[in-house]
Amino acid sequence: MAHDTERLGDLLDSLVPVLVERLHETGLGEIEIERDGAIVRVRAEDLGAPVASAPAPVASRGGVPAAAAPTAGDERRHPVRSTAVGFVKLAPDIHVGGKVAKGSLVATVDVLGVAVEVRADHGGIVAKLRCASGDPVEYGQELFLLESVGEGKL
Amino acid sequence: MIKRVLIANRGEIALRILRACRQLGIEAVVAYSEADRESRAVLVADEAICIGPADAKRSYLSAPAVISAALATGCDAIHPGYGFLSENASFAEAAAAHGLTFIGPSAEVLERFESKAEVRALLAKHGLPTIPGSDGVVADEAAAAKAATKIGYPVILKASAGGGGRGMRVIQNADDLAQLFSICTHEAQAAFGDGSLYLEKYLVDTHHVEVQIAVDKSGTALHFGERDCSVQRRHQKLVEESPSTALTPKVREEFLTRVAKAVGAAGYRNLGTLEFLVGADGKPYFIEINCRIQVEHPVTEMVTGVDLVALQIRLAAGELMPMTQAEVERRGHAIEFRLTAEDPAHEFRPQAGEITTFRSPSGPWVRFDSHLYAGYEVPPYYDSLLAKLIVWGNTREEAIARSRAALLEVEIGGVETTRDFFLGLLETPSFLKGTATTSMLDTIGTADILAAAPKARA
Repeated sequence: MAHDTERLGDLLDSLVPVLVERLHETGLGEIEIERDGAIVRVRAEDLGAPVASAPAPVASRGGVPAAAAPTAGDERRHPVRSTAVGFVKLAPDIHVGGKVAKGSLVATVDVLGVAVEVRADHGGIVAKLRCASGDPVEYGQELFLLESVGEGKL
Repeated sequence: MIKRVLIANRGEIALRILRACRQLGIEAVVAYSEADRESRAVLVADEAICIGPADAKRSYLSAPAVISAALATGCDAIHPGYGFLSENASFAEAAAAHGLTFIGPSAEVLERFESKAEVRALLAKHGLPTIPGSDGVVADEAAAAKAATKIGYPVILKASAGGGGRGMRVIQNADDLAQLFSICTHEAQAAFGDGSLYLEKYLVDTHHVEVQIAVDKSGTALHFGERDCSVQRRHQKLVEESPSTALTPKVREEFLTRVAKAVGAAGYRNLGTLEFLVGADGKPYFIEINCRIQVEHPVTEMVTGVDLVALQIRLAAGELMPMTQAEVERRGHAIEFRLTAEDPAHEFRPQAGEITTFRSPSGPWVRFDSHLYAGYEVPPYYDSLLAKLIVWGNTREEAIARSRAALLEVEIGGVETTRDFFLGLLETPSFLKGTATTSMLDTIGTADILAAAPKARA
């Protein structure tokens, strides 16, 4: 336990300043990263009080990651999920910090040569990628996390 | 050589195929719909992939989704199980076009054996007796009426593309035919995408007897004995057993040999089942072929000791028949009971919901194939099969006594099941004598059967 506490402390000391800086740069409401089995999440509205939790979400049992459960109570974060089973291709503006308009085409899933569209249910900024172009994805799999920003920003 | 199989099915058969793959040292990936995320096959599989929503049309029945899932998970073969895409020739063809081995007959074979009317003619040519019927599909109502008059009423009108007991109607007279022909055509069109109908003489008080066969790529065809599936409700099988009480030893051996020979010569390949009706004359008449593994295959496995799913996979991989007919020994008697989520006290109304308690039976020569566990939610979208109890005995009497004991051990809470119906059936004289026919449940009421069931301690 003592070791874990110490490790977490080190982790927070090294990460938090960097995350806070990135938060200001990108205008994101929240940034989350995984490091050494812990998740560090920094939110704009409660800067200075980072949330650390462990362990990291369980990886899938197989080659295709299971859909991650949405974080409860986190209304600003919207997972964008695959609409088909196949190989995913992300749209060019889908990278962390990229802006997405509601209803825009954010990815396609190749199903035997047919491109099945994935459209964004919400507008926002890409907060976290959960896959890369070319990855096999299952139906309903979380492709990336969108974070809504204040109205009028997009 | 098959290295990695996508199991494109659900429920108990997904689990059964998974077990066969593990036994053969083949990797397996279970394909599932969103409604089956918590199913036992998904939970125990090394790998699983969600292929679509609960609606089977967009998941288990979607050829692109299934094939895409196989490619996404690096599989080199697909096992379709039964139902869904298992006998779909264009699916088998598409799988092959993507370099995937379809575990079943090839697309070409499926196509040849697709039309029931044509298969009847084909197998008749190869020496199988068929029920008098129309010469293939009937073009219209007038042609149907002409054929019916020639064979004599009652007749049964069947969808050429139908199966699983669906798409058939008994026609008692010319008035019925006039009334029902176009309805049947529409029903067949809606259910199977093909409105073609053919008709056969309707034999009453028949036994439903079917022969399990397997054919390798060289045409070597073996039979694995017969199964009697006479206990049916609205053409849905409830109980299956082997051997059949309707065949004399003399008829049986000649019949089985003839079936294996005919099906091999007609060009069938892989595992299959030929269904027959045995009338009062004790002679089997061919009705249809099923080009897949069947629900009731364990009955044959218990009697022969042959793992049919493993054999099916090996034959699909291109292996030659690993045994001779003489090596297929049939011993004793086996019975299967299909425990379904249906309420026998209320017209077998389908049930769905959480399984609150679950206790499986066990004991010598008792097999229980089920995907249930306590806490499992039975989804309302698919068929109602919950478990198959298969029991073996040296004799039919011993198998029945053992079945009674095993059924009393079964506990499935949270939904109504057919368990008590089977306990009652095991006290019903016609079943005990082995004289039950396909019309049994038309003459004995479900309530009477349920009333005969011994009460299990609550």
